Amino acid sequence: MKFHWFNLMPWPHLPDDFTTRYRSVWVDVDSRLFDARKANQVYNDYLDLLEFAEELGYDGLGINEHHQNAYGLMPSPQLMAATLARRTRDASILLLGQSLALYDPPTRVAEEMAMIDCISGGRLISGFPVGSSMDDNYACGVNPATLREKYLEAHDLVKRAWADPDVFAWNGKHYKLRYVNLWPRPIQTPPPIWIPGGGSIETWDFCAAHHYNYSYLSFQGYVRGAQLMEGFWRRMETLGQEFNPYQAAFAQQICVAETDAEAQRLYEKHARYFFSRCLHVHPGFADAPGYPTEATIRAGLTSQMAGQSSALNQATTLSWREMIDLGFLVAGSVDSVCEQIEKLALGLKCGHLVCLLHFGDMPNELCRYSSELFARRVIPKTRPFWDEYTDHWSPQPMPRETRAVPRAPSRGAPNGSAKTTP
Amino acid sequence: MMEFRQLITIGGLTVHYARAGQGQPLLFLHGMLGLVAFDSAFSFLAEKFDVIAPWAPGWGPAKDDLDRMDPGPLDLTLHHCDLLDALQLKRTHLAGTSVGAWMAAELAAIAPARVECLVLVNPLGLWLDDTPGEDPFAVHPGMPSEILFSAPGLRKKYILEGRDKVDAHVDELLALRASAKFLWPIPDTGISRRLHRIKAPTLVVTSALDRIVPAPYGPTWQAGIVGSQYMELVGTGHVPEMERPAVFATVVSQFILAQPQTRAS
Repeated sequence: MKFHWFNLMPWPHLPDDFTTRYRSVWVDVDSRLFDARKANQVYNDYLDLLEFAEELGYDGLGINEHHQNAYGLMPSPQLMAATLARRTRDASILLLGQSLALYDPPTRVAEEMAMIDCISGGRLISGFPVGSSMDDNYACGVNPATLREKYLEAHDLVKRAWADPDVFAWNGKHYKLRYVNLWPRPIQTPPPIWIPGGGSIETWDFCAAHHYNYSYLSFQGYVRGAQLMEGFWRRMETLGQEFNPYQAAFAQQICVAETDAEAQRLYEKHARYFFSRCLHVHPGFADAPGYPTEATIRAGLTSQMAGQSSALNQATTLSWREMIDLGFLVAGSVDSVCEQIEKLALGLKCGHLVCLLHFGDMPNELCRYSSELFARRVIPKTRPFWDEYTDHWSPQPMPRETRAVPRAPSRGAPNGSAKTTP
Repeated sequence: MMEFRQLITIGGLTVHYARAGQGQPLLFLHGMLGLVAFDSAFSFLAEKFDVIAPWAPGWGPAKDDLDRMDPGPLDLTLHHCDLLDALQLKRTHLAGTSVGAWMAAELAAIAPARVECLVLVNPLGLWLDDTPGEDPFAVHPGMPSEILFSAPGLRKKYILEGRDKVDAHVDELLALRASAKFLWPIPDTGISRRLHRIKAPTLVVTSALDRIVPAPYGPTWQAGIVGSQYMELVGTGHVPEMERPAVFATVVSQFILAQPQTRAS
């Protein structure tokens, strides 16, 4: 099993009365709550954590894309990937991902991903989500009626731009380019492609058709996720795909301490910050008309009639114990967490675990503590899951000894007085 | 109840439409929710006119045709020209509400020779920075068209009652999907550059309780269409054809029947 350290990069300074004073954490969240000077520390803390995660031996460093969102401060995951490409050496760069339909021309995405793959020596995983309605339709103004066809066309264009060595013309419905000729080009041909999704059957079929990894990114945890992933695996079987757990990834909030009681004491308030403030989204931004397909609308209404909530922030009212029992959190002592990870691995049958070890307003030091316990004492026990399968969805970097070594920064000279000797 | 017939147009699209009444032809282009709850207004109009009410591509029985339409005005307008050809109507009176009023204005601007008199009720398509109106596409998905009505509970009465709840709700969301395609992300369709081409006698109507098209839009449309008239309806929201069908039909009929060319023919 592989373990990726992932950070949504939430804004940790939302006020206590955020959910009563403001209607949404996303799209029209009050920008006066943002403080650029504090963000200087926030971004650097988060990047420090990602770099620390590599030192701890995590397989991948995960970043993603959100717009006008106070729980996700990464409008451009490429920028984060670029700095990680320079400052880390071994971990995969799990860029999960870039919403293709937002970029015109989408070859810009192909170019940037190629740059990251080159700088990192071939460590990039390229995630291509359709993207959320909040990001794509409301924040970026893409027409929901044409979003999916733009996404699919952009995908085909990016794939061809990576693969075709010749200049070609692209005469699509949404994109028309007389000369497509990618410079630079990625080391990997192509970088592994992961498709983050929320559970639509169209996405599953797309993954099967292209043999992509399907990454289920929900905040509802592995207990509810198991049912959905069962549907995914059934669909893969129906479509004749040979079972391989590495074709699936799952994102899970995780926190570890020495004892169960300590875990609650250390992490509960940060989990609550995440589940209530960070997931406080105006329902009117959840699904633009035309974003969900007719089948998805019907399925959603039917499950609502049956009393199931689709709200993001449904863990708000749960007790700490319920959050764990229902799988919203994997939390507790090392033994408890090992036990829960085993259930998760077997229940979801997924080979890639995207570990949300930072959540809400968790401070840097505390996150390091949890991430280190997980890396040193949980991963060694749970890594052997799925050893008998080959992972076809991880990067194939250049051999380590042939990769460029970034120059170490000079630490000695005071600011502005560094001398360059020819 | 309105009875729908089918008609194959030259564009290869199947048009479902209702037609009733005697007199001069009146083409009605529906609003965001399609021809749902339009029966009553349809009957009133049919007392004075030969009323033709088609489902637009993307709505109701034509929901799967949405992909055939580009978001701009051209495909829809040519579709309506094709429809008039198929019905062998060289000219017609034309009325529309909401997004349908925008379609009507486009038809009158792009093909002015086809339109006798024009009535635009709560038209979308213009944008005033200082008076944006509420966003009809960022509302709670549990009651997506509530914002179109003047009071709580009216959505339930007009949209849901007497129907399977899930089916009605799905149809409602699909109708809004079609509307959003032509009005995303803000309802500035570029019609302002074409308004001067409208030659038909025109009445612009707004509704006092409309949260989507606030009152200032009425005078703005009127100013763009030479010689047009403007009036405001009281006591109704964005959908007067549902909430006040008799008043709606009277306003449309009286304006059209008062025009000199209508009286002469």
